[in-house]
Amino acid sequence: MAQVRETTTAAVTRYGLLLLISIYCIMPFLWLLVAALDPNAGLFLKIPDSVSFNSFFRVFFEEDGMLWLTNSLIVCGGATVLVLVLAGFGGYALSRTRAWWKRPFLYGIILIRVIPPTALIVPLYKIMLTCNQAIAGVVRPIAGPEYYRQVMRIFGFIDGYFGLILLLATMQLPLALWIMKTFFDTVSREYEEAAIMDGATFNQRLRRVLVPLAMPGLAAAGLFAFIAAWGDFLFPLTFISSPELRMLPIGIYSAFLRANQIDYGLLAAIAVIYTAPAIIAFALARRFLVQTFGGGLKG
Amino acid sequence: MSSITLSNLSKRFGAVDVIKGVDIAIEEGEFAVFVGPSGCGKSTLLRMIAGLEPISGGAFHLDGELMNDVSPDKRGIAMVFQSYALYPHMTVAENIGFSLDLKGIPKEEIRRRVGEVSEKLQLEAYLDRKPQALSGGQRQRVAIGRAIIKQPRVILFDEPLSNLDASLRVQMRAELQQLHRTTGATIVYVTHDQVEAMTLADRIVVLSGGQVMQADHPISLYKEPDNLFVGQFIGSPKMNAFPARVAAVENGAARIRTDDGWEVALGGFRSLNPGDRVSLGIRPEDLSLAGTGERADITVRAILSERLGMETYLSFETSGESAIARVAGDHRIDTGETVPLSINLDACHLFDTAGQAIRRGQI
Repeated sequence: MAQVRETTTAAVTRYGLLLLISIYCIMPFLWLLVAALDPNAGLFLKIPDSVSFNSFFRVFFEEDGMLWLTNSLIVCGGATVLVLVLAGFGGYALSRTRAWWKRPFLYGIILIRVIPPTALIVPLYKIMLTCNQAIAGVVRPIAGPEYYRQVMRIFGFIDGYFGLILLLATMQLPLALWIMKTFFDTVSREYEEAAIMDGATFNQRLRRVLVPLAMPGLAAAGLFAFIAAWGDFLFPLTFISSPELRMLPIGIYSAFLRANQIDYGLLAAIAVIYTAPAIIAFALARRFLVQTFGGGLKG
Repeated sequence: MSSITLSNLSKRFGAVDVIKGVDIAIEEGEFAVFVGPSGCGKSTLLRMIAGLEPISGGAFHLDGELMNDVSPDKRGIAMVFQSYALYPHMTVAENIGFSLDLKGIPKEEIRRRVGEVSEKLQLEAYLDRKPQALSGGQRQRVAIGRAIIKQPRVILFDEPLSNLDASLRVQMRAELQQLHRTTGATIVYVTHDQVEAMTLADRIVVLSGGQVMQADHPISLYKEPDNLFVGQFIGSPKMNAFPARVAAVENGAARIRTDDGWEVALGGFRSLNPGDRVSLGIRPEDLSLAGTGERADITVRAILSERLGMETYLSFETSGESAIARVAGDHRIDTGETVPLSINLDACHLFDTAGQAIRRGQI
């Protein structure tokens, strides 16, 4: 193809357009960062007169920022771990089985992702309520009245970590299963057979061969699960009521809804704190995502 | 260094019989090659020896010890996989030493033995590399290293040279022969390539449809095939088979008339009766151009001539079947030309209607 010499106008137009789109995309993030550091932050983006971390201190010391962050990390971390374990084993099984129900099952679970979660909220609440009553029946005689609330906060299906972890994991599991199934399809069976011939037990095969080989898949599945769970607002709002269990997105929301006036600096600081773990999760996963294992097989 | 005995071994997948009662004896230190068309069960048989497929019936003895239900790692058998299946997340040293590491052998001891093996395979310079950074030949050597470090009684190879380019294949073939010479290990090797089988094997086991067609030394297999299948499978281009019948038996010589109408007289076949239907098997190299003045056994019309320089493959047709003659390359033969051929009568084979060889009687 012949090289077309670019005219100045064309170049200016092109880069100008790209710049405009970039600014449009980056503006919210820029506002967040600037407003979080500006002691007199307002609705509009402006260069701050002074830089201060005051808003961050207020999130952690005046508000329950630390509690919200911890709750979010426990719930989303728990859900991610659960998804990884289930999707790891499940994806392997789905990849290796030749059962007739494999395809219907895989398409069936994708339906869970297709249906908007909001549409499910009422039946879900009903199910969770029933489960909660069942578990309460077990916890009440064991824990006794003085510890009942504390135990239910961990194991309860409503207003408890366990229920929310289970719920968020369920929502993220289909996609993770698909990712892991597709990934294991590309992992040759001969690796496992080679390990069997080398005398590896099931545990050793899993730990020394399969998990290292599955790392890129697990990283992708885990990242998607964590970020989706982290960003979820509806489930924490619906299923958590105690202030002790409140999570970050609800924290932002409650700060936003506060009467009198909107404290933009505080809101921005919470939002920055809310964004950071997602970015860290991505940074951690990235190393494994790009890792490709070639060369073990011929050709 | 061990002997393998398979007696009436069988394998069923559901209702499908894949291996139908196989009897094979492989002697200590032998290089045995299982060869056959795809789907003949040769890989399944190898995996049954390895222990990766359960045995449905019959017995597998290793040095007289029944192995049917012994777990793969306890059999003392190592395997080189078709894909090599090197662990891509481990270095060459870790790959080779993995089996020792699993046994809990001390690191120092593993390092020493990996060193020994890698020296033998000329891999010392690559011990810290991942398989990704190795050439095809080096990968095969790592796969072999992973096998021999276990000091196995038997090494199994599952089509290790498939999907390699031609020049690498020749090189690898030579390395495998050298490995066998230096280690003296009993080797069972699976391939669908009869050239590989011929060049490597002490004993070739030809399989078809889950049954042993013949097991013998390569040259015996080539010279005296037990049946038409083996005759045609071993040798390239394959043996020509002409449908024919016995015209007459006179003085211990049988006159065989092909359906096309030409005749050959073959000595030594005493058991034949006039009128018997047979297949006349003639290898392409036993058909040569008849010189001037020489009597031609058959005259054919060339439908294709492939010149390779040293020799020419001449395709012709008789009674609808195409056949090939492998003639000297110093004649120029054009397509459509009529060519007189003479037949090396002593090397002709006869097969009965079931495809079984009819042997020449002792005189």
